[in-house]
Amino acid sequence: MAVALYLVYLLLPIGLLALGSVGEVWTNTLLPTGFTLRWFAEVAGDPSFRRAFVTSLLVALWTCVATAVLAVPLAYTLYHRAGQAGALAGRLLATLPVAVPALTLGFGYILVFSSDALPWLGSLLLLVAAHVVLTLPYMTQAVLADLRHLGLRELEAGASTLGAAPWAQFTTVALPSMRHSLVSGSVMVVALSIGEFQLSNLVASFSHRTYPVVLLQAFYGATGYACAATVVLLALALLAAAVPARPTGGPG
Amino acid sequence: MSIELQDVEHRYAGTDHGVLGVSLTVAREELVTVIGASGCGKSTLLRLVAGLLPVQQGRLAIDGRPMAGVPPWQRPVGMVFQSYALFRHLNVLDNVAYGLRMRSVGLADRRSRALEVLDSVGMASHANRRVDQLSGGQQQRVALARALAFGPSVLLLDEPLAALDAHLRTRLCDEIRDAHRRSGAATLLVTHDQHEALMLADRVAVMARGRLVQVASPRQLYDRPASLEVARFVGHANLLAAQVLGPGRVACELGELRADTSAHAAGTTVTLLVRPEALQADPPAGAVNRLVGRTTRERFLGPTSRWDFTVPGVAPGRQTVLLCEGPVVAREAVALDPQRLLLLEAGEPASGTS
Repeated sequence: MAVALYLVYLLLPIGLLALGSVGEVWTNTLLPTGFTLRWFAEVAGDPSFRRAFVTSLLVALWTCVATAVLAVPLAYTLYHRAGQAGALAGRLLATLPVAVPALTLGFGYILVFSSDALPWLGSLLLLVAAHVVLTLPYMTQAVLADLRHLGLRELEAGASTLGAAPWAQFTTVALPSMRHSLVSGSVMVVALSIGEFQLSNLVASFSHRTYPVVLLQAFYGATGYACAATVVLLALALLAAAVPARPTGGPG
Repeated sequence: MSIELQDVEHRYAGTDHGVLGVSLTVAREELVTVIGASGCGKSTLLRLVAGLLPVQQGRLAIDGRPMAGVPPWQRPVGMVFQSYALFRHLNVLDNVAYGLRMRSVGLADRRSRALEVLDSVGMASHANRRVDQLSGGQQQRVALARALAFGPSVLLLDEPLAALDAHLRTRLCDEIRDAHRRSGAATLLVTHDQHEALMLADRVAVMARGRLVQVASPRQLYDRPASLEVARFVGHANLLAAQVLGPGRVACELGELRADTSAHAAGTTVTLLVRPEALQADPPAGAVNRLVGRTTRERFLGPTSRWDFTVPGVAPGRQTVLLCEGPVVAREAVALDPQRLLLLEAGEPASGTS
């Protein structure tokens, strides 16, 4: 019952958006009337949307790569330095992104990076960096949980008795052990990055606006147009989640 | 192909746990099992030999070469872990070939060698399976094959059969023994299971509180335990507090018994140790150490039976229950062969069954 209510609450707005995106007219009626693909064509033809679409994909991709590259050594170190300091660092990493609002980070960036010393506000690099800060903890947690679950310590001990020096242990045992969590973590990172609005809205310059930022403008225009633009974002996020979610092997 | 340990010590920081001075030599082609209760330091001992933990004091040598400062990956040691520690991202064959790959053996060579070793443990047909498609017993065999494939001169096994059911254990015991014979490696196997320890070993080392309390052949350990502690740990035993009266005579709650007292002076307090199968059922009248009583509990075990025989004590109102074992259950009397009555001086004198 509760689940059904939850699903209605979640799916009803999405259903209405989908309806609105193909509705001819939607003014002063409960549901839109008529059928058209005009709104999608208009969104597709809009250069600012097209640029934002590419920017979003680029930012998501680079964020994904950067978090993966950073999360591997980070999770590996946190796993092996499980002393008090390591445990504290791990907890901080897990709670900080929840505790610190993206809005706070955004204002902070504006203060720091609009200075003459660091005039990077509005650059694509800063935008990606901001997304990395937001998503890194999720990726690190996913990898760390995987290492704990697999009991990497014992696997590495096994590898060492078989003749593997530390670097060989890392490349032939630790890295392959992380592959499933890196894939599932990447899905999460891409989905989060594509939907991110708060920080992007504050940090992005006019030429590097991400899709959700441009989307806000659409709601000042026709309803069908706004609906179609939103459906595109939804499709993009779902696609990001669905494509890499077919790993070659089972969970290992 | 040998392991030499000389007063080896590894104490866990801030505790009295670990390995607190162990001297032991395992020869080429020898299999020594280490038994002891959990926390006695037996797994720590294996990790010291493997180099996974540092030897803090004492000397460890493998094949006559001192191992101080030699990391695990440079030691000629193969190890089977309790959890098997198989790599789930590799198939069975590549798991077994891993040690050869780390030694830069070519792909074709290492695969054919791995297949050979897999074949010797009856797992060649599973070479291309994923590790998580195997049963516990199969994983155990793969772990054994992986530890032996690169030809180590020392084999270490940490509770290799603990995760398997009893039936499979006996069979895998034979397989471990065979694999050990073929490899010729000096082998240390840690277990908390006395049956496993006795069945597999050339020699058994009993460990308690970080030290070895006795190292002996399985038969010697069973027949002549060095202390009450060892006697309690290995096999079942009837233990009786007693005192040496004079040559060939001891007194206990069963009255006066004949025993071999040659090693003990008159007046010494001792503990008598009687194995259940050393009690003879319904001996002829006039037999030495004949005890009259009755069977109070019977357990049929197939080829043999184990029963409780209750003997009225010398003191009024006291009785002694003896655990006996044999094909025939006693009806009215049992006899204690004086030659199989062991006198132990060390430790607290105590009565009871263990």
